[in-house]
Amino acid sequence: MNHLRTSLRQRLLLGTLLWILLSLGLAGWGLNRLFHDHVTRQFHAELRMHLNQLAAHLNVDTDGQPVIRATLSDPRLTRPYAGLYWQVDRLPAPGIPGRPGLLRSRSLWDFVLSVPDDHPAQGEIHDHRLPGPDGQMLRMIELVLRPEAAGSPALRLIVAANESLIEEPLAEFTRPLLIALSVLALTLSGALIVQLRFGLHPLLRLRNELTKLREGRQATVPGDFPSEIQPLVDELNEVLGRNLAFVERARAQAGNLAHAIKTPLSVMANAAAAEPGPLAALINSQVGIARQQVDHHLARARAAAAAQLPGQRCLLAPAVDGLLRLMRRLYETRSLNIAMLACDAHLAFRGEAQDVQEMLGNLLDNACKWARTTVTIDCQLDGHELRITVCDDGPGIPESDIARLLQRGTRADEAIPGSGLGLAIVDDLARLYGGSLSLGKAVSGGLQAALRLPAG
Amino acid sequence: MRLLLIEDETTLAKQIAGTLSAAGYTVDTAVDGIDGHFLGHEQTYDAVILDLGLPLLDGVSVLKRWRSAGRQMPVLILTARADWHERVAGIDAGADDYLTKPFHMEELLARIRALIRRAHGRTSDELRCGPLRLDTRSASVYLDGQPLNLTSHEYKLLACFMHRPGELIPRSELVDQLYAQDSDRDSNTIEVFIGRLRKKLPDNLIETLRGLGYRLKVPPT
Repeated sequence: MNHLRTSLRQRLLLGTLLWILLSLGLAGWGLNRLFHDHVTRQFHAELRMHLNQLAAHLNVDTDGQPVIRATLSDPRLTRPYAGLYWQVDRLPAPGIPGRPGLLRSRSLWDFVLSVPDDHPAQGEIHDHRLPGPDGQMLRMIELVLRPEAAGSPALRLIVAANESLIEEPLAEFTRPLLIALSVLALTLSGALIVQLRFGLHPLLRLRNELTKLREGRQATVPGDFPSEIQPLVDELNEVLGRNLAFVERARAQAGNLAHAIKTPLSVMANAAAAEPGPLAALINSQVGIARQQVDHHLARARAAAAAQLPGQRCLLAPAVDGLLRLMRRLYETRSLNIAMLACDAHLAFRGEAQDVQEMLGNLLDNACKWARTTVTIDCQLDGHELRITVCDDGPGIPESDIARLLQRGTRADEAIPGSGLGLAIVDDLARLYGGSLSLGKAVSGGLQAALRLPAG
Repeated sequence: MRLLLIEDETTLAKQIAGTLSAAGYTVDTAVDGIDGHFLGHEQTYDAVILDLGLPLLDGVSVLKRWRSAGRQMPVLILTARADWHERVAGIDAGADDYLTKPFHMEELLARIRALIRRAHGRTSDELRCGPLRLDTRSASVYLDGQPLNLTSHEYKLLACFMHRPGELIPRSELVDQLYAQDSDRDSNTIEVFIGRLRKKLPDNLIETLRGLGYRLKVPPT
């Protein structure tokens, strides 16, 4: 029932199927009624025809006894229990007893039809339903003729036929009718399923496009849709475009704010450094804290917006290549071996290129600061996740310090330049994207930073 | 050593220029991208400190124009924009180093020294030539291990010679090394400073090539 409420296809299918069955049921019932009426009318017309024929052939002989001068035309009247019968009764008159079955068709054989005495008027035809010979149920009509001569008994003319003469053709009609209606119902249902599939195909296509959007394989919903859906798609694209513009604007503003704050911070720090003293020391420490706060909140604000934005995807290899070029240049004097172990060209991150560069930039920068000779980065696909591992051959970190290192503003060694936010920012960004950062000991003895991120 | 500083925040520019001058560098300053680009394109500098968020023409565009015009002086980007993608863009545009604000002056000086050292293919902050040893970190000169007392101008001249020992240096270039672009230049004072320097150094260490310039003689090892 729940599925019915949520599935458009099920609703349409069930609704239309019910309608088809109801319509065909009504049509079948109506046709059956019409045919039944027609057969019944025919049956009665035939009985009347035989009654008229019987009346026409009835005569009275010289002894005053009624006789049938000629044989009635229908052969069933001569075959015993054939289903069509006639009978002439003499009704009682003063001094003359009544005699049912005075004359009978041969088909009645020795059976006498017993008709209730309901005294029909002269020329009036009455209908009755009576048991007949051979267990048959009969429909009959009767006509009473009264002779003109006074004192002569009245005669009752009866024609009867087996009820099955109505039911048999009706049954013969109903069966093929039911088969035809069933075939029609099946054909309509098949056509309905095909039509639903065809008609709802654009919705399926839209769903596939939305899946691609969610997985970051595209930034908007492309293509033409039927006029009923296109406005929805256009609105969706419009909202996506606005969101993207909003995020970019927010990023630019956050960047501008950082820029606007950091330059005066530089001026203050430099001015303080020029005149050493307690005030200078205070300014220096506060400038350091302010810088940490700006970096942290800038990174978070940017990623919080982008992580919720659908349709974001970027290839990993170009982002890593750019960072490796940067690191090799920044650490040129230390002649570090900064190597990419593996990163397939098709590997992609489901998110903003800037954010993955922010995470990997911090990890690589941290590794380069501590490494003695070698820094490695390895990118692998693990199910639906990217597993990126950055290792250095530096002194590494004791296990007890690892949790502390992911806290904001903690630095493993104050002597190494840096704000101390790097790993905490990476951890924050990874979590915003539903990933994780874990630190451990590299095979070479240094720090191993393992980043898990959603693959695109 | 002559540096170009392009920074639109004038207070910060003065602070940096003051520190660099105190460290023995001659500093030209520009406050927008157009002026900065012009100076970097027309003059010879040992290194450039370039801000990215500049009025009129942004820092990355300035750098790209220099590089496409074949200007290969070392460039350090000094910016508040600390995002890694911006650093990659800066390095890809042709920068040699990247320092983010706020920064320590010592770090800036160390980076500048490293840039100049790399540009001259050296690995040490010390320059040696015969009995002379020049420490670029402390801007001090030693003769046979004894500290030599030099004025700022004398140090600048000797540093220029010691970065390029045995090389002919035109007089005009020495003038450029001594005076910032916007200062009053008196080219005749070069002879005076050379004369004073010669008195403090062993005889004939600085040769005069008449009509051409000067040369620091490399003693046979």
